[in-house]
Amino acid sequence: MNIQPTSRLELLQGTLDLLILRTLLPGKTHGHAISKHIQRTSEDLLQVETGSLYPALHRLEARGWIAAEWELSEKGKRAKYYRLTTKGRKQVQAEQTKWEAFSRAMGLVLNSLDREPV
Amino acid sequence: MNQILRKLGWTTQRRSKEAELRDELQFHLQQEAEQAEASGLMPEQAKYAARRELGNVALLMEDTRATWGWTWWERLWQDLRYAARMLRRNPGFAAAAILSLALGIGANTAIFSLLNAVVLRPLPVADPQQLVQLTNTLPLWETGSDSSRELYGYPQIERFQSQSKTLSGIFGWTGLGRLNIGFHGTSGIAQGNASSDNFFSVLEVRPQHGRFFSAGEDRAGASVAVISDRYWRNRFGADPSVIGGAITVNQVPFTVVGITPPEFSGIAVGSSPDIWVPLHALDRLKPNSKRWTDPFSSSWLLIAGRRRPAISREQAQAELDVIHHQFLAEQLPISELSGMENVQRFVREGHLVLRSAARGVASGLRDSYAFPLKLLMSVAVIVLLVACANIANLLLARASNRRREMAVRLALGASRGRLVRQLLTESMVLALAGGFLAVPMAWWGSLALVRMISSGDSPLPLAVYPDWQIFAFAAAVSLLTGILFGLAPAVRSTRADPGPLMKEGTRPAGGSSHTLDRTLVVAQVALSVVLVTGAGLFVRTLQKVWNVDVGYDRENVLMFSVDAKLAGYPSDGAGAVYREILRRLQVLPGVKSASASVVRPVDDQFYLLDKVNEIDGRNLRESDVIRVAWNATSPGYFSTVSTPVLSGRDFEPHDNETAPKVVIVSESLAKSAFPNQNPLGHRLGLATIVGVVKDSLYSGARDQPRPLLYHPLFQHGRDQEFGWGFVSFELRYGSLSNLLDEVRREIASVDRNLPVFRAKTLVAQTEESLMEERLLATVSGFFGVLALLLACIGLYGLMAYAVARRTAEIGIRLALGARRDHIMWLVLRETLWLTLAGIAAGVPLALCAALFAKSVLFGISTADPLTIAVTVALLIGVAALAGYVPVRRALRVAPMVALRYE
Repeated sequence: MNIQPTSRLELLQGTLDLLILRTLLPGKTHGHAISKHIQRTSEDLLQVETGSLYPALHRLEARGWIAAEWELSEKGKRAKYYRLTTKGRKQVQAEQTKWEAFSRAMGLVLNSLDREPV
Repeated sequence: MNQILRKLGWTTQRRSKEAELRDELQFHLQQEAEQAEASGLMPEQAKYAARRELGNVALLMEDTRATWGWTWWERLWQDLRYAARMLRRNPGFAAAAILSLALGIGANTAIFSLLNAVVLRPLPVADPQQLVQLTNTLPLWETGSDSSRELYGYPQIERFQSQSKTLSGIFGWTGLGRLNIGFHGTSGIAQGNASSDNFFSVLEVRPQHGRFFSAGEDRAGASVAVISDRYWRNRFGADPSVIGGAITVNQVPFTVVGITPPEFSGIAVGSSPDIWVPLHALDRLKPNSKRWTDPFSSSWLLIAGRRRPAISREQAQAELDVIHHQFLAEQLPISELSGMENVQRFVREGHLVLRSAARGVASGLRDSYAFPLKLLMSVAVIVLLVACANIANLLLARASNRRREMAVRLALGASRGRLVRQLLTESMVLALAGGFLAVPMAWWGSLALVRMISSGDSPLPLAVYPDWQIFAFAAAVSLLTGILFGLAPAVRSTRADPGPLMKEGTRPAGGSSHTLDRTLVVAQVALSVVLVTGAGLFVRTLQKVWNVDVGYDRENVLMFSVDAKLAGYPSDGAGAVYREILRRLQVLPGVKSASASVVRPVDDQFYLLDKVNEIDGRNLRESDVIRVAWNATSPGYFSTVSTPVLSGRDFEPHDNETAPKVVIVSESLAKSAFPNQNPLGHRLGLATIVGVVKDSLYSGARDQPRPLLYHPLFQHGRDQEFGWGFVSFELRYGSLSNLLDEVRREIASVDRNLPVFRAKTLVAQTEESLMEERLLATVSGFFGVLALLLACIGLYGLMAYAVARRTAEIGIRLALGARRDHIMWLVLRETLWLTLAGIAAGVPLALCAALFAKSVLFGISTADPLTIAVTVALLIGVAALAGYVPVRRALRVAPMVALRYE
């Protein structure tokens, strides 16, 4: 039996792409590792559905933000490794800026001092 | 080829990507399982957990595939394969649909390609829209109405060239007709043009070899010639060394300096000259001193030019009209014709009109065929609509049978859009297959049409070939028809509610409405009525025209023409040549009588008009002047063409140059000039009337009856028609076999250099003169038959389906003792009602449509009762046939079988 994490967050529409791109920023890796990395770094709050992960990877590849090559994994098996392209790197920057602005805006509204609207 | 390769690349690439995805997911599973095992699960459990974590693999793969961007193509490919399979399963339906579409699209494309060549296609020169032709209105005092003409006197072009600021270049040209071109001792006939030296440079045509005329080359003694690409290939074997070579034109020496590019074939549709010479070369070919100076009595030059880019046609016309008027007003007082009322009126009231020459200058071919071709184009569109209605109907009947299939697919989760798309793909496959077949059919058809409208010795020089415009047209028409006939059935058959349909079995509920099918059949019948009526009107017109009493007997007459000029004879030497030819013809075995004339019966080249303004030395007032058509004939002409001489005599050999002038008049001329008198012995002008002949129609059956005046050829012709025209010989023969060969031999023995041309029988000449009528009758007749066939198939399809649905009902009725003829009537009644509804809608439609064709009808009204009666009878017959066949099949089925049929 899997130990269920306390609570899990639904991924917001469009955020998976950014998470994948950000995960690939340090270097190339394969789909399973990407999924695990997102889960781990989000302290298990975010779990990537495999059913969404692979379509997303292929979509990003079709857009030219990431590229893929078949390489041997640490354990000597053939695995498909994804890495960021130059275009993808720019995209991470842009998306991240956008996301931060958005989340700051959300924060401002949600934590505003409750006053009567004028 | 390229596409096949790309498709192969796509399918192999797709396959490897699919495998890669599977490998990738496999690796994911393994990783997941290993981690699960590491966290303490049993290997089996670990594998199971990994699988569960992966979720719905099929869905995952589907979603991933969608990101590759191929789904659209994959679905199309699926749909196409499915469509092909459906069509293979119904070969009869597929063949009927594709064939009727191919005929419909092919007919449209064939007529469009001819229309394109004759009316629509721009000249293959730079910026054709800047080209304009100068024409002028000619107020005619006889009729009071303006008629326009294209001819100018030579001095006028010099004036336009020196004064016009709105045109960047102005050129003039004139036709030379047949020329005898000699080269290295051989001779052959070619069509020639004379043009000013800037002709090619204003048109911006570049020579493919050599050069064109250079500025200043159009001067007295000009002896250069440009030949067309076609003539270069046919006569000179495409040998470039002909440049600089010596040729003779009517025995006068010229030098070939250039060859036109292949795409350029002159600037008038239907006439493509083989050779061009400068205008002033005319002096060496046909000397005429008045040609360069006289603006009124000698108008022979055609003028066109190129607008400056920023100038509109109206601006240019305004400027040129002023120049035109100024010039004529200056010339009138010093002209010898200044006293003539109609010349004064021409100067006062005539106007210059600029016509766009982007699609070529005024052309007789275009004038005669633009309207018939547009008529046929509309007819072809109607045929295509009928074909569409037909296929839509067949599809609807099939759609009813496929409702269960559609219901299952809807129930299994297919979206309606997806199903419509699939059904439309099926229609598109049909339409495109039809369009594909239509292209060779259209090409063949357009060539047949060109042959049909070609008179004379060679097919018309029309550039009818399948270019990209034609393909685009065929493709567009195919796609449009596909949507047109496919959409309604597709939408209707997917509108089903799956539940009840699936429970009910294969047969749809009996009471379902079939308004759409019926409307389609009624529309189809109505349009067929229009087509069949049209065909009937054109066929009847042809019949009527053929049966008009023309005043001569067309059977057993052979005609040919000879031009002594082509062999280098001067005009006063020509008479002797013609006399010698005639003498030899008269003694040929098999020839009953022979004659010569300037104008032949049903002539396609001459229409000679004159005025009788002096009777017995008395000048007629201008309003009493008699307009006549005239001809000059040799002795024996009337007996050769079998026009009876009513009183007096035919011309005799002694009516020659030195004898007193004589004329023969037609009955109606005699009546109007000498009412209630015997005209013999009276004088018209200087000539005495020696005979009266029966009226005949001057230029064929469709001509207005006119008073006719005949001059003796060898008395009158010496310095008139011999100078510019040629002579036609007529032979009444007993047997045609080898006659033409004997004629050629005789003429060669008079002079080896005399070419024989326009050789044809009077019947053939008449047929050619009725080309327009025959084209309309043949093509619309073909379409009429096609429409009947389509209507028959459409009605049959609907009835066969209706009867099949009612097989059980018919079985029950028979079992209960219903009479067979009663049941037959039950079914036929429906067919007949639909047909009658179609006829009721179609007849008024046909009457309206016939009004558009009024100008080409002859001898019948647009509401010809016989035509309409035959049309109605034909359609009812077709309907009865279409209804009878399926109902007889149903009646043959034994009642028990019919009942078990469910």
